[in-house]
Amino acid sequence: MSKNTQKGGLSIAAKAGVGLLMCFGFVAVFADFLAPYDSSEQSRHLPNAPISTFSFSNDEGSFSLLPRIFEAKMIDALKQAYEADLSRSASVTFFPKGYRYHLLGVVPLERHLFATNSDEIRIHLLGTDALGRDRFSRLLAAIRFSLIVCTIGAVLASLLGIAIGLIGGYSGKIVDTAIAGVADAVISLPAMIVILAARVAFPLELPPLTAAALLIGIFTLTGWAEMTRLTRGLVKRTRTLDYVTAARISGLSGGRILIRHILPNIARPLLTQATLILPAFLLAEATLSYLGVGLQEPEPSLGNMLAAANDLNQLREHAFVLLSPAIVIALFVLAVRLANKGIAKNEDRKTA
Amino acid sequence: MFEPSFLPVLHFFIRKAVQGVLLLLITSAAAFFLLSSAGSDAFTSLREDPQISPATIEKLRASYGLDRPVVERYGRWLASAVRADLGESFYYRVPVTELVLARFGSTALLAFAAIGIAALIAVGLAFVNVRSQSRTLSAITDAVILIFASTPRIVISLFALAILVYGAITSVFWLSAISLAVPLIAILLAQFNQSLHDAMSEDFIRTARAKGLSETTIILRHAFRAAINPALTLFGLSLGALLGGSVIVETVIGRPGIGSLTVSAVRNRDIPLLMGVMIVVSIAVWAGNTLAEVLQFVNDKRIRSAEAE
Repeated sequence: MSKNTQKGGLSIAAKAGVGLLMCFGFVAVFADFLAPYDSSEQSRHLPNAPISTFSFSNDEGSFSLLPRIFEAKMIDALKQAYEADLSRSASVTFFPKGYRYHLLGVVPLERHLFATNSDEIRIHLLGTDALGRDRFSRLLAAIRFSLIVCTIGAVLASLLGIAIGLIGGYSGKIVDTAIAGVADAVISLPAMIVILAARVAFPLELPPLTAAALLIGIFTLTGWAEMTRLTRGLVKRTRTLDYVTAARISGLSGGRILIRHILPNIARPLLTQATLILPAFLLAEATLSYLGVGLQEPEPSLGNMLAAANDLNQLREHAFVLLSPAIVIALFVLAVRLANKGIAKNEDRKTA
Repeated sequence: MFEPSFLPVLHFFIRKAVQGVLLLLITSAAAFFLLSSAGSDAFTSLREDPQISPATIEKLRASYGLDRPVVERYGRWLASAVRADLGESFYYRVPVTELVLARFGSTALLAFAAIGIAALIAVGLAFVNVRSQSRTLSAITDAVILIFASTPRIVISLFALAILVYGAITSVFWLSAISLAVPLIAILLAQFNQSLHDAMSEDFIRTARAKGLSETTIILRHAFRAAINPALTLFGLSLGALLGGSVIVETVIGRPGIGSLTVSAVRNRDIPLLMGVMIVVSIAVWAGNTLAEVLQFVNDKRIRSAEAE
């Protein structure tokens, strides 16, 4: 065994997962800084433009480190076909001034990581969407929006699940059986169909922030059961241990024993389970938004960006660009799984 | 011989029946109250139409009995539901039972194809893995499990759609089945690979080896039988997950089935239809669970009688 594993370090795969997750966190915090353009800024001249054409040689033909971006010119308005105009170019600049935003919602800034030195010739790393909005900027904003919604949902669902599980595991047989029965019923039903059914109870068209709040509510109400089952089992196993009996004999109340003595000792497996809720919610968000009943335009989310793939002509022309949100989703799920697996293994080794 | 083996079987079926009825009651009541109490139904959107007076809407709602209290409506719904009458779909104007059963059949076919694909790949790869004892192959299997488990169905079905558009594969049915199968392959492969591996270190395998049987025979005849049990349970339990997965696969690829029907019920706020979907899905989940337990029981018995020989 290497020194690293003996110390309880993570495997390379787990490290990659954690690293990827940190990248996602970084993107979520600095989305506005990383994005060259405002995610809601439309352009009527450039609908469904392809990825910008660029070149690493300057006007004299010699190599330059900063690439030049050529103007995309529409050659067929009906087919929305473009051609690069090689006579008109702009060069990439770093830290230019762009639209104003607030970093973390407080620090006012207008510098961005990169853009071009021209307002007319723009850099579109992933092209533009049907309304001429920069898809790369939208993707960054979408990662932030989806991650915020899903993280809040996962935290609330975990807390609700743990609370119900604690009550179930520590109370009498009737309450416990009822809780276990409902939890099992919720778990056995397909989550996606339950979430859709819950969604119908509310108006289908909602402003973005209301929709986000509603989605968080639905995720909380449908996602607690798995956590409850785990918590209940752990509490039942723990409550017969000596130190709990000692606490009970010394006259502590049931609530105090649960919160102060049992919960800290079962926190780690609960945390591992909580991280698995996150990708599940991200997928639910993506699915609902893709279907048009989740997070809605103009606010970009990973799901509603995917809806553009419904245009089969566009899908044929720009499959990679249209499916880039799907690739992001897959990467996120992979990162969580890698990190989760590594951390769980690490825990096993420590306790063994 | 008849008496003692018959009683536990009867007990089992009574327990399963009670569980099924409870599940149906909980699901239908929860769905009904949630969908009715939120105060919007198929006629809500009509309120925004200036050409329709509120009185007309009220008359329409009354003609469907929507002005009655929720408890009374649930009672009525339940009374007709036990006679297999789930009402009429608001949108499609046909009996819900008929519509849901027809679409369920189409999705069930897809689900069975997906299970078949998953079983074939999982069993095949696990067998090759145990037979060859190769480290490279084992690493590949682990990678397949990880990648297949973390590629969501929405991603797979969108890529499947792209494949359809490019015309590389043109069979909508098989592309849908593969999209539906991918996460299941990961789960089954992980489970079966592990239990087959565990089974190979059991005593009866050593006995079989001592008898001079070939390694392939040992794996196929003896280890498979012991390892198949957890996999059988997974098959039964996967039915619910497959129905949930069909929502996205069928909608993206555009194939009619219970999943795309659910989405259409959501988009049209077709609450009777949605209730019908919930009921059929609950029954399917319950049946899957029961089937899993029965299969497990039968297999256990076969193992026990084989050991007694």
